[in-house]
Amino acid sequence: MPREVEPSLNEKQFFAKALQENIRLDGRAFDQFRALELDFGDEYGVADVRLGKTRVHTHITAEVTTPFPDRPFDGVFTIATELSPMTSPSIELNRPSETETLLSRLLEKTIRRSGALDTESLCLIAGSKCWSIRADVHVLSHDGNLVDASCIAVIAALQHFRKPDTSTEGEQVTVYTVREREPVPLSLLHFPLCVTFSFYGEGVLGKGGEEEGEVVLIDANLMEEQLREGSVTVGVNRHGEVCQIAKLGGLPVDAVALLHCISVAGVKVKELSKFITGCLEADAKKRDKGGMMAELRADNDRVS
Amino acid sequence: MATETFVLPGETLDPTALPSHPKLPLKLGPGLRHIPPNTITPTVAGQLCTDKRKNAVWVEFNGSRYIPTAGDLVIATIQKSSVDLYHASLSDYTPNASLPQLSFEGATKKTRPQLTSGNLVYGRVTLANKHMDPELECVSSSTGKSEGLGPLTGGMLFTISLGMARRMMLPKPVEQGNLVVLDELGAQGVAFEIAVGRNGRVWVDSKTVKTTLAIGKAIVDTDEKGLGVEDQKKLARKLARDL
Repeated sequence: MPREVEPSLNEKQFFAKALQENIRLDGRAFDQFRALELDFGDEYGVADVRLGKTRVHTHITAEVTTPFPDRPFDGVFTIATELSPMTSPSIELNRPSETETLLSRLLEKTIRRSGALDTESLCLIAGSKCWSIRADVHVLSHDGNLVDASCIAVIAALQHFRKPDTSTEGEQVTVYTVREREPVPLSLLHFPLCVTFSFYGEGVLGKGGEEEGEVVLIDANLMEEQLREGSVTVGVNRHGEVCQIAKLGGLPVDAVALLHCISVAGVKVKELSKFITGCLEADAKKRDKGGMMAELRADNDRVS
Repeated sequence: MATETFVLPGETLDPTALPSHPKLPLKLGPGLRHIPPNTITPTVAGQLCTDKRKNAVWVEFNGSRYIPTAGDLVIATIQKSSVDLYHASLSDYTPNASLPQLSFEGATKKTRPQLTSGNLVYGRVTLANKHMDPELECVSSSTGKSEGLGPLTGGMLFTISLGMARRMMLPKPVEQGNLVVLDELGAQGVAFEIAVGRNGRVWVDSKTVKTTLAIGKAIVDTDEKGLGVEDQKKLARKLARDL
């Protein structure tokens, strides 16, 4: 398996020198995201997120299956991540790399385990039929910060997705096609998003700095990610509720810095959520050609 | 030297566009294919360039990965060293090139430069065959002088497209390649040092971090956004003002 290409010594030294002067190589502020773009496909539940040069494509699909025997009232929700060699030649097919494992576990932790999707609403007939929602995350281009980008992609796609409408009569379930009844959106309880903080300590910056010897960056690109000494991923929803914190080895981070990270993440997630909502509204307006969408809707209004 | 004709793959070339020479045979460069008996068609889209003196014709296009050619100046990253060789990478995920440890200016067994993994060198490709790893040198084998080649210390490396690297290495980039951004930066009083590698790498060094980054940004933006002469001047003036 080819190894990932590391930055050269000159780049490492230059990067450290720039950080000491409070400059980031791409000219961003330390707590600034790269340019975020979000496009939806023609189909429901297709989202394409571009964060700088990182690009993630997510597709949501739904099918009717039998629920797990131990959870007869719950539907099934799975997130499948895929990193192909197209992302980076160092990634091999069918052999999960560390990046891929971490990505899928963090998405699982942030979105599935925090109960973002109400799985009970996916139940059709207890114990025998339920919806299985599957989110396929395809990473098309890897330039750092896959977790945040994938999280945005999955949440946006879930909000965009519509599942076919159904009706139940006794043991008989009818799934209506798009022509018969307008599909209904999923019932999402909250919208968690991730913000990753990269930490740089003495190993990168060198000793002898009289100021605080630590630099924290948000939305690191690939080179910044390769050079970082530690990272913290905070999953927050737009109400500021923390869903998960992942600190996987690396530099020790003290409690005050962590609290600061969480408050910054709250602010960032609010901005990101606003952006996603704006994109969804623009897309809904585009689809609502004859202005009949409100009439066609089959779902009930719910207060979120 | 270069004519500005745009060609598409499979197009029929106008025979008058090809150079003719009384003695030399016609040389076909990248992007052209000879179909016997006497048809020449482009295989890529790009600008048809001709060199009357060498009786050569090729298509200038921006793309594909770097393929080493003897005589190319490249920026290589040292990966590891063995007994009397350094193994250096020219482009990512390709076999390493070998660089003899004694092919530096004035290098003997005792005075050779000690390079470790991650160091950058500016070298020339001496040997490049299709089925062999390329070989590099950092000294001119005829004169024994470095002629600007050797280890690069400090500075920053930027990645650009291969077409941009070729444009920057033209004898007269301003007239032939419409590339004025560096001249304009120099005219604004920005001092810097630069080394361009045919393998799509540019090494820039200057006194401050800000200047180096500004120059790198100027080059990369010109490359990625395909800026024209006026836009390049505007960009250079803006960057120089912000320093």
